[in-house]
Amino acid sequence: MIREIILQICQVAAVLLLAPLLQGAILQFEERVQMARGPGLFQPYRDLLKLFRKQIVVPDTASWIYWITPFVAFTAMLTVPILIPVLTDFPLPLSDMGDILGGGLVLTLASFMIVLAGLDTGSAYGGIGSSRSVMLTILAEPALIVVFVGITLLAKSMLPFAVNHLLVKNPAIYLGPAHLFLIAAFFALLLVETDRIPIHSSTHIEVYMIEEARILEYSGPFLALLKWASMMKQFILYTIFCNVLLIPWGLSQQGTALGIAGSLMALTLKFLLVAIAVVFVETAQSRLRFYRYQELLAASFVFAVLSIIGTQLS
Amino acid sequence: MLAANLDPVASSIFSMLAIVSLVLAFVMLGSRWLNNYLYAFAAESWVIAALSASVGYYGGYPELYLVAGLTGFFRGLFLPYLVWRIIYRLDVAREIHVFVQPSSTLVLGALCTVFTLTVAYRVGESLGLANTVAVLALTVMLSMKLIGFLMLTVRHEALSQILGLLILENGIFLGAQILVPGMPMLIEIVILFDLLIIVACFGVLVRYLVTHVGSTSSLKLRRLVG
Repeated sequence: MIREIILQICQVAAVLLLAPLLQGAILQFEERVQMARGPGLFQPYRDLLKLFRKQIVVPDTASWIYWITPFVAFTAMLTVPILIPVLTDFPLPLSDMGDILGGGLVLTLASFMIVLAGLDTGSAYGGIGSSRSVMLTILAEPALIVVFVGITLLAKSMLPFAVNHLLVKNPAIYLGPAHLFLIAAFFALLLVETDRIPIHSSTHIEVYMIEEARILEYSGPFLALLKWASMMKQFILYTIFCNVLLIPWGLSQQGTALGIAGSLMALTLKFLLVAIAVVFVETAQSRLRFYRYQELLAASFVFAVLSIIGTQLS
Repeated sequence: MLAANLDPVASSIFSMLAIVSLVLAFVMLGSRWLNNYLYAFAAESWVIAALSASVGYYGGYPELYLVAGLTGFFRGLFLPYLVWRIIYRLDVAREIHVFVQPSSTLVLGALCTVFTLTVAYRVGESLGLANTVAVLALTVMLSMKLIGFLMLTVRHEALSQILGLLILENGIFLGAQILVPGMPMLIEIVILFDLLIIVACFGVLVRYLVTHVGSTSSLKLRRLVG
């Protein structure tokens, strides 16, 4: 029991500590693809450290929502790793608190609070960012829900662990069209939710920003917490994509120290693979116009619907 | 028949590859850029090559590996290269005047697919192959044929028409791979050369059209002249 609690703490710590590394790796690869040197793999850690040392400047118009949002967002991102298979393929203590929908709810709570905080200070950019991100959520949510329904119909269960076990045991289901369409649909959502290019812009501060605009009024440690939370969100979504859908192998089955080290190695390799795909998309694609956002999300929706049809046909 | 008794892994691989190539046919139907047609066609040919190889592996037909290699090379590289050369020389990037919008064409294509699904169910039942991968292969084959016909009908650039013809042929080839895998090698090679000749003839025809009519769009061809 003690060991399982330690494992659970390890899972959360892995997400907490490795999330900036994933972000740094993606940014570094992008720079290298463009024949530039890049800031280095560890730049996000240095950025966070710098922000934590700075002072906090609060707008006069800010209310209590402004103050609690960084903590709510950060705590939400610390909660989700408990529910999903990060290092072990068996449920650890408290991972029965919620299923896939529960995890999605906690993730959405964080982004809801950030939307409110963007509106809270009354600045023009915060309002624009919040309204754009709500628009995007309205477009992305149906696809996400249909993906969840597809996963549920595939595995007859909403627990990520059950999906993982099913795919490992049945290569026929893994290679079936239903599962592969789910992967395609989820990949499009992954790009949308982690601020990647067909929707979001590649530079941080410019007119079309969405995520950055919402947190433009934050500074110092608050900004660091919010940035860290968004990196952790990216890490969590990559974990769900890899460990539940794309590559369900390579997780520790007994929870020994060696197994955990092995599954950390496997996690690195898996994320490297997905990061290379994401870097390819970011390099080959340009940002879509605002009124063409629905094209990518509609494609994702269609794939999810096709996967549901696939589960019904077979 | 191979399709009647397959192990589940093989049948999911076959159905996955078949459905991916159907999706690529829809990509061609939904886009209006000629380059996109070409990339989708090349990708589809590679998927079909993979299908040939996996049918060869699971069904025990070693000659299908050679067919897969030929398919990958000719349909996946050489034909797209020839068509790309034609596009490059013609300087036509996309269909400018469409009379059915790409999105409406997609809906028409979906209706065709539903129609072929019912047909395939009937055929599958009468052959005693219901609930096997054969139904899916029939569906994909017939709907790729219908999508090819649809592209031949609603597009009027000469290049989209040739690509429509090539999809149609890809569909037949895909269905044949799953339904009757032991086709003689010679037939496959003959079909490949047929395709080469089609594309070469089209290349000549297109250049003729450009010099004499000044356009490759079938909308401009209003007079019957020898």
